[in-house]
Amino acid sequence: VTSSDPTVFLIDDDASVLRAVERLLRAAGFHVSPFDSPAQFLEQCDTDIRGCIVLDVQMPHVNGLELQGELRAKEVTLPIIFLTGHGDIPMTVRALKQGALDFLTKPIQGEALIDAVRAAIASDAAQRLARAEVAEIRRRLATLTPREYEVFGHVLAGRLNKQTAADLGTVEKTIKVHRARVMDKMQARSVAELVHLAERAGIAASSHSD
Amino acid sequence: LGIRGSFAIMLYSVARAGMDWVTITWSMVAAACLTLAAVHFSIWMRQRHAGAHFVFSCSAVSAAAVAGFELGMMRSQTPEQYESIVRWTHPAIFTLVVSLVCFVRLYLHAGRYWLAWGAICLRGLALVLNFAFPTNLNYLEITGIRQVAFPGGNWVSVAEGRANPWTLVGQLSSVLLLIFFVDALITVWRRGDRRRAIVLCGSTIVFIVLAAGHSALVTWGVIQTPYFISIAYLGIIAAMGYELSSDVVRAALLGRQLQTNETALRDSEQRMDLAAAAAGLAMWRWDIGRDEVWMSDRGRTLFGYSSSEPLNLDRLLQIVHPDDRDALVHAIANSMNGDGDYESEFRIIPADGRMRWIAGRGRVEFSNVNGNKPLRMRGVSIDITDRKQAELESQQQRAELAHLSRVTMLGELSASLAHELNQPLAAILSNAEAAQRFLARETVDLDEVRAILKDIIQDDNRAGEVIRRLRLLLKKGEPQRQELDLNETIQDVLKLVNSDLLNHRVSVHTELEASLPAVGADRVQMQQVLLNLIMNGCDAMTDTEVTDRDLTLRSESTLDNAVHVSVVDHGCGIPPAHIEKVFAPFFTTKVTGMGLGLAVCRTIISAHGGRLWASSNAAGPGVTFHFALPQLVRGDK
Repeated sequence: VTSSDPTVFLIDDDASVLRAVERLLRAAGFHVSPFDSPAQFLEQCDTDIRGCIVLDVQMPHVNGLELQGELRAKEVTLPIIFLTGHGDIPMTVRALKQGALDFLTKPIQGEALIDAVRAAIASDAAQRLARAEVAEIRRRLATLTPREYEVFGHVLAGRLNKQTAADLGTVEKTIKVHRARVMDKMQARSVAELVHLAERAGIAASSHSD
Repeated sequence: LGIRGSFAIMLYSVARAGMDWVTITWSMVAAACLTLAAVHFSIWMRQRHAGAHFVFSCSAVSAAAVAGFELGMMRSQTPEQYESIVRWTHPAIFTLVVSLVCFVRLYLHAGRYWLAWGAICLRGLALVLNFAFPTNLNYLEITGIRQVAFPGGNWVSVAEGRANPWTLVGQLSSVLLLIFFVDALITVWRRGDRRRAIVLCGSTIVFIVLAAGHSALVTWGVIQTPYFISIAYLGIIAAMGYELSSDVVRAALLGRQLQTNETALRDSEQRMDLAAAAAGLAMWRWDIGRDEVWMSDRGRTLFGYSSSEPLNLDRLLQIVHPDDRDALVHAIANSMNGDGDYESEFRIIPADGRMRWIAGRGRVEFSNVNGNKPLRMRGVSIDITDRKQAELESQQQRAELAHLSRVTMLGELSASLAHELNQPLAAILSNAEAAQRFLARETVDLDEVRAILKDIIQDDNRAGEVIRRLRLLLKKGEPQRQELDLNETIQDVLKLVNSDLLNHRVSVHTELEASLPAVGADRVQMQQVLLNLIMNGCDAMTDTEVTDRDLTLRSESTLDNAVHVSVVDHGCGIPPAHIEKVFAPFFTTKVTGMGLGLAVCRTIISAHGGRLWASSNAAGPGVTFHFALPQLVRGDK
């Protein structure tokens, strides 16, 4: 098993349930890593692993919801599918608010679990892809000079070169040069693409100071 | 009195007529003596053990003989005749002395033996000497007969001659006899029986002084009169007559008293019967040695025996319920070997076939001698069927209440119980689906499938076990006492509430004494009590920090032969003023509870002869609930 394979981390304190669900997922072709306590899992997990977590809510010492919290704190972003014997509404709401992907009630229908796991792994992959894109945009952004960054802001705000030159106290020609360099560094072919990249990276347009 | 009265009248009339009153008087003395002898002899004939009457009648016959001889002396014409009569008087005097001594010993149990033997032996020696001398003990020789005039013109013969110095032996015997009687008088007087001392000993002493003293004076020739021994004996006759008449009066009194007592006895017997009948008591007595049982009519009715049927222990045991027979025999044996108190409750099935409950109470009477051997047993039995029925009913009601409370509690536990059941079901389903997928593959891993099937069976058993436990708790049945290891019960209960504890975020610690002595208890009810205490502990810790939600279960044996179980929580605690109130019915701090749980628990533990109580924790917050049950003694049921 290479670390690049997506892994289903299965956590349940009930040994026989753990064994059974592990078998089911394995039979469905997943790579499964079972743990009988959250503590054991916390020791082994890191942010690089791909896959998802299938987690029992009711466990002694640290329960599923608490583990979810701890993972968030550790910036482990693996999607979580909760399993519960009897899910009550407040518990479900809390889990979903904290970012749970799914909430399944035992006894689990195999198909439902497998679908959920598949969706979770896909979601994890998508998340990772998105995160990689943002990282790339940020990397490009980091190559901009402060002046270029200023001009970038004005472009995002939709201002004309003439207006930007007036704001920055320079001539239109200079702004044009900066703008071309920004487009080049950000690898954007059009202004629309540049705006899209900025949105992905979460950069807001610079406020207009009239 | 009659004898004395008629005697006096006759004496008087004879004297007035100038008849030979001497002959008549002495004859009458003899007759009186013989009458008295006859009376006492006849008493002795009827009461052979009363030897005193026999010896007294001997003394009276002797006195009659002496009277005859005295009359002979007074009427003798020649010295030879007089000598011979004096000689034959001595055997009569001997028997008189012996019988008087015997009488005092037998009738009054007084007088020293050496004095008695001294007097008798000396008198015996005198008798021997009497016949050894050619004449007699009194005279060496009688030289002549002199006629002496008595008032009323009667002449009587008096001897003249030389006194025999050996006559002192007889007189010494009389002195010893006198001392013997004085000694007896003092003894009887001191004993407190003054009347008898005066009447019997006093009269005899007067007789001896008069008879012996006067005889000595006559023999030594100091005075010239005939011997008057028999006349002196009249005093004894009077005394004995008085004693006899007072005996008759006393006998009559006693008879009347006896009659009164008998009436009182019958009265008290009737009262007793009435009381026994009113209380429904059957009385019985068992003669252990002969194995015979007497039973009052009520008892025979109660036990269904006919009134004439002879009873013994075996016959009684025959109708005792076979299940109770051993216990009853045991109780009887215990009372005979122990302090004698008998108490038991048992069922009987009399001839009519209607079972009844009987309570028996009794006492064994032991022989004072013979090493405390049990002689007989007395007691009462009473029909307690109604009470037992009521007891049974209240027991049933208790069981029903316990059941109700159990069902309520299980309702509260339902989520947790569903989880316990859900887990194995979930595992089974996942395993089965996994197996389906494995089997659908081109190459089937049979080992994997085998492992799955094994797990499915195991999980199915686990689910079955949960259901079995639940059914046991939900079952509505008579509580059944059995040998129970409370540690096992604690573990069982923890399995049931495991999920509830998880939900409450409570961690459980057990401190169970290894090889805890067993108790005799109903398993389900003990589970119920433990469940209740554990759930209460959990509920009490709702507001406690999650890290402090600790419940400790402890079991230990105590010095007073009990098993002590405690459930320690770290909850909010109970104010001291309320710590006893929590056991009251309908006391609750919960929104959902009925407030019956602890009240029912206390009833359960009490019914098992134990105690349930609560105490605030000494160190830290929270409450400890305790219960103690007596250890099972081997042989208990």
